[in-house]
Amino acid sequence: MIENNLLAIIIFAPLVGAVINWLVGGRLRNEMFSGVVACGSIAISAIVAFYLAFVADGGALFIDKPVLSHIWTWIDVGGFRADFALGMDRLSAIYVCFITFVGFFIHVFATGYMHGDNGFYRFFAYLNLFMFAMLVLVLADNYLLMFVGWEGVGLCSYLLIGYYTNQDEPRRAAKKAFVMNRIGDWGVLMGIFLIFTLTGSISFYDKSVDGVQVHSVFTWVLENISVAEPFTWGAIIAGGLTSIGVLLFIGATGKSAQIPLLTWLPDAMAGPTPVSALIHAATMVTAGVYLVVRSNAIYQLSPTAMWIIAVVGAATAIFAATIAIAQNDIKKVLAYSTVSQLGFMFLAAGVGAFVVAIFHVMTHAFFKALLFLGSGSVIHGMHHEQDMRKMGNLKKYMPITFITMATGWLAIAGIPIFSGFFSKDEILYKTFAADKYFQGGYFPGNEILWIVAVITAVLTAIYMTRMMIMTFWGKERFHDALPGEEHHDDHTHDDGHTSSHDDDHHHALPHDFKPHESPWVMTVPLIVLAFLSTVGGLIGIPYAMSSLPVVSSIVSKNANHFEHALEPVIAEIETPTAIKARENAASHSPEAVSTERWLALLSTVLAVVGIGIGFALFRNNPLRKMPKILEEKWRLDDLYNGYIVDPLTRLSTNTLWKGFDVGFIDGIVNGIGSFISETSSYMRGIQGGFIRGYAAMIILGALCILGYFVYFGIRLIG
Amino acid sequence: MDLISENLLTILILLPAFGALAVLGHSLYWKDDGHLKWITLGFTVVAFLISLLLLTGTPGSNGFFFEKNIPWIQAIGTNYHVGVDGLSLWLVLLTTFIMPIAVLSSWHAVEKRPAAFYVFLLLLQSAMIGVFVSLDLLVFYLFFEASLVPMFFLIGIWGGENRIYATVKFFIFTAFGSLLMLVGIIALYYLHLEATGAGTFDLLTLLATLEAGKLTFAAPVGTLLFLAFAISFAIKVPVFPFHTWLPDAHTEAPTAGSVILAAVLLKMGTYGLMRFNFPLFPEASRELAPIFIVLAIIGIIYGALVAMVQPDMKRLVAYSSVAHMGFVILGMFSFTEWGMQGALYQMLNHGISTGALFLLVGFIYERRHTRAISEYGGISSVMPLYATFFVFTTMSSIGLPFLNGFVGEFLIMVGMWKSTILSVTDSANWNYIATMAAGTGVIFAAVYLLWMVQRIFFGKLTNEKNRGLKDLTYREIGLMVPLLFLMVYMGVYPKPFLERSRDTVVAIQERVMRQAGGTVDHDEHTAKAK
Repeated sequence: MIENNLLAIIIFAPLVGAVINWLVGGRLRNEMFSGVVACGSIAISAIVAFYLAFVADGGALFIDKPVLSHIWTWIDVGGFRADFALGMDRLSAIYVCFITFVGFFIHVFATGYMHGDNGFYRFFAYLNLFMFAMLVLVLADNYLLMFVGWEGVGLCSYLLIGYYTNQDEPRRAAKKAFVMNRIGDWGVLMGIFLIFTLTGSISFYDKSVDGVQVHSVFTWVLENISVAEPFTWGAIIAGGLTSIGVLLFIGATGKSAQIPLLTWLPDAMAGPTPVSALIHAATMVTAGVYLVVRSNAIYQLSPTAMWIIAVVGAATAIFAATIAIAQNDIKKVLAYSTVSQLGFMFLAAGVGAFVVAIFHVMTHAFFKALLFLGSGSVIHGMHHEQDMRKMGNLKKYMPITFITMATGWLAIAGIPIFSGFFSKDEILYKTFAADKYFQGGYFPGNEILWIVAVITAVLTAIYMTRMMIMTFWGKERFHDALPGEEHHDDHTHDDGHTSSHDDDHHHALPHDFKPHESPWVMTVPLIVLAFLSTVGGLIGIPYAMSSLPVVSSIVSKNANHFEHALEPVIAEIETPTAIKARENAASHSPEAVSTERWLALLSTVLAVVGIGIGFALFRNNPLRKMPKILEEKWRLDDLYNGYIVDPLTRLSTNTLWKGFDVGFIDGIVNGIGSFISETSSYMRGIQGGFIRGYAAMIILGALCILGYFVYFGIRLIG
Repeated sequence: MDLISENLLTILILLPAFGALAVLGHSLYWKDDGHLKWITLGFTVVAFLISLLLLTGTPGSNGFFFEKNIPWIQAIGTNYHVGVDGLSLWLVLLTTFIMPIAVLSSWHAVEKRPAAFYVFLLLLQSAMIGVFVSLDLLVFYLFFEASLVPMFFLIGIWGGENRIYATVKFFIFTAFGSLLMLVGIIALYYLHLEATGAGTFDLLTLLATLEAGKLTFAAPVGTLLFLAFAISFAIKVPVFPFHTWLPDAHTEAPTAGSVILAAVLLKMGTYGLMRFNFPLFPEASRELAPIFIVLAIIGIIYGALVAMVQPDMKRLVAYSSVAHMGFVILGMFSFTEWGMQGALYQMLNHGISTGALFLLVGFIYERRHTRAISEYGGISSVMPLYATFFVFTTMSSIGLPFLNGFVGEFLIMVGMWKSTILSVTDSANWNYIATMAAGTGVIFAAVYLLWMVQRIFFGKLTNEKNRGLKDLTYREIGLMVPLLFLMVYMGVYPKPFLERSRDTVVAIQERVMRQAGGTVDHDEHTAKAK
């Protein structure tokens, strides 16, 4: 057991930053101060995180044992033990590194983006608090503490989505996000109960605290369960590992916006753009993937749960991609794109490619944070206009933003060399070959999932190209009126665009308006992220590509450093099919390698084709009319409101409250009451009608009864 | 010092009563109402400080400390028998802690007959402490009834427009329950008399006789006695479907009344179940547990759904109390250490969080004299600090981890999940299903509370009347800070609280489960693991 108390600094630095900003920053109201405190605390976190991951004790990323730190015992009741204790193993190390790194640059970007906002200190206090919760989530050494972070990020997300408190849409979106997350949290809680019941522990690691040996959930599973659960629907409700898997995944659908709990994420774009980049693209929404990968020992033994994850992931991916194609708000496109990409990650996890899922989490964090920050830069330069129909030809005015966003675009579309290519291509391949690598053996329907994923990949290229064209190419449409919008100089439009800082910004763009490039605090993070989006994928080049003659002359054959780093995190399940799957993966058989190469070629072609389609469709007609149903998001919100929210409200109001409470129970009580009052009206002579009088009479009566019994008792004994 | 510690509980009971006398005397003699609140505040603060001495106690052989047993009416064998143990300790402290806050909450609000108001407040405190420390059934009953009267007047005189209806309803419900309990107490007396030749109201004597097997209840008697007590307590909690007095009483009560009602009075019900019902009637407790569990779950979901559609802030919080107290009942009747410890902890949490919510509603009511949610909207821009405190308290009530509510709810649900009390058949794990159903309450809590927060605080400030609202005063901030501090402290470090209640709770749990031949199952899972 390696202990290192430096771990605590990683989580507490942002917390201290949040408190300072709240208490001191609120008084000083100095942007310089708040910005330095916020960014500085994240910088400290990041430095310590990288130090622990790469240097201290041999580097958490390279050693096999987790680095632990016990802070205090939180709950210890009757054998149930939840410590406030941190642990950094390879999985946490990767997460912590990219969270603090990307987080730092988003913080820097935000100091520019939020400049002039009068809640500046409050914004950064929330943002730091979020970092605290997120780091607790990934550093927690047990399920319950992870749940603390899990709920904590939900809270901060709530606070930050609703940051523009004086507007309607953010407050609704914030509540919706919290509630939908809560629905998922129910699943996590129940999953934790079942884990505790089954294994007698909720800890991630074997450790000893205060002389007590605490065993890891996963060790227990590996030692006690040697047969995978059956691949049947019945396994879901059998109360075993599959049940745990499904319950935890319910939580993941909430946090990571998968079907059916996905509608909150696009609405969450009502928050400030750096928040969308940090929370709703790079970090928080990938917590669901973290949970699944963290619990991989459980999932590998429950093929049913895995299958559900893969299917839900693929379905979400294509569902969100179709919507993204028809959105006009630049942030909405990116939001649906995020949902879609998260679907890819779950697809990967579902077919057993846990490492690839995490790889995509990381590359996605780079390019999606980049795209969101780029959109933030655009919005900033456009004086808080988010509608792409009013943009166009911005590359002329915002060259840095254009170039950096273009790398993000190529990365997400899956052009080779760019980071998204490697991770997405791996996912497609693992899905295609799921029958070979899936720990549960045969994987029904993987071909269909692969086709869905391929179509989604093409759609991704199309909608991203559309977004780039509408924003950066074509003719300038700053002064054009939108359909149905009158054109005045100072016309206020109420069509639901709400991301302006305050009402004064909320005007149509004036005649002499020229977009401008953003200041360096915003462009530098863009450049850094663009660099990572370009080369970040190179740490995980799959064998099939690194073994290509041309490539292997540059990098070594085993260039998939990412996979090697994460391998120990994936439990080695001793079922025959899992052993077979591992053997298949390790052998690099020539057929497999050549299949993978052909598929990689195919997906490259598809990416190019997708971009081509995008240009063909939108280059000359950027405002092309899209199908109504897509623009209206398949009317999923209407469905939820009409079939769940409204009936429940009506039931509560009419049946439960006014029917049962007021009608039935109070009816009985009032009946008794009026009976008493009618009876007493006969005795009006002795009653004054004052409430005091009634009370006195009742007390007197009670005393009489009491007196009678006391007297009776005395007589009996005497 | 010895004098104080020997008679600590008696002092705690009598001090507020003396305070009431002082208030009365002062107002009659000097005809000056200005100092009354200071006198009251002084007495409650001193009572709180003295009550902290309870923490220094070490339990005696029977688990109680600061015990005092003096013969009172010897003819019927009733004693003035008081003592605290792990169960009552925190409830007494909760009472003494919440009283100064309640007094301060109505600092400017009482215009009508202040002397009477403070007298009732102080008498209420005496009665409440009496309830929690009495170990003699008759003495308990007297305090239990006595606590009704001041509350009755507090609502009836200083309440809102509909106060008479609310008071009468409150009284009908609770008086009905109390009479049932009185019958139960007297029946116990005679049963003991028959069995041993000496009647007694003393809880510990009764328990010892039961333990020794000298007194056993024939088939329906145990259940009937259990019900006589349980219905009385269930009304107090209130357990669905006895809950309809609560929203009315809360809505009409003055702020101080609502705070005390939520924080302490409701706890008398859950306390009574744990103190009397479980140890006295273990078989019946086990037998009827499924019914209470079902009622608790209905209460959780029902309370939440109805809370969701309330147009009045106080009514909403009142219905949320029904849901939260449902959790407490659920945990107690799981008969596991987790569930019962969680239930006890949740009693304290509910007292603090819901008490704080009523305080907060009171603050805004004093400013605008309306509690209709629709009257507000966007007031976070004029009252930022108030909004912050409100959201914070809401989060505690929702059960956000690291705030107090989470620890209690979590333990309760673990307890229910691991409970063996529902294993009637092997075909389904009813305990899982019960927990899953109760767990939905956690979702609904977020819905109704956040919806209220959203409608009151966020969005545009549309109602012109709210534009001039002043943010919290120093007095109001001072009231909230200790509560907010406890919310965090109890959420982050529950150990000191749970440690002190552990032995008592485990003893009760073992008593209930042991006689079933059921074993106490802390270590069942480790056994399974091996």
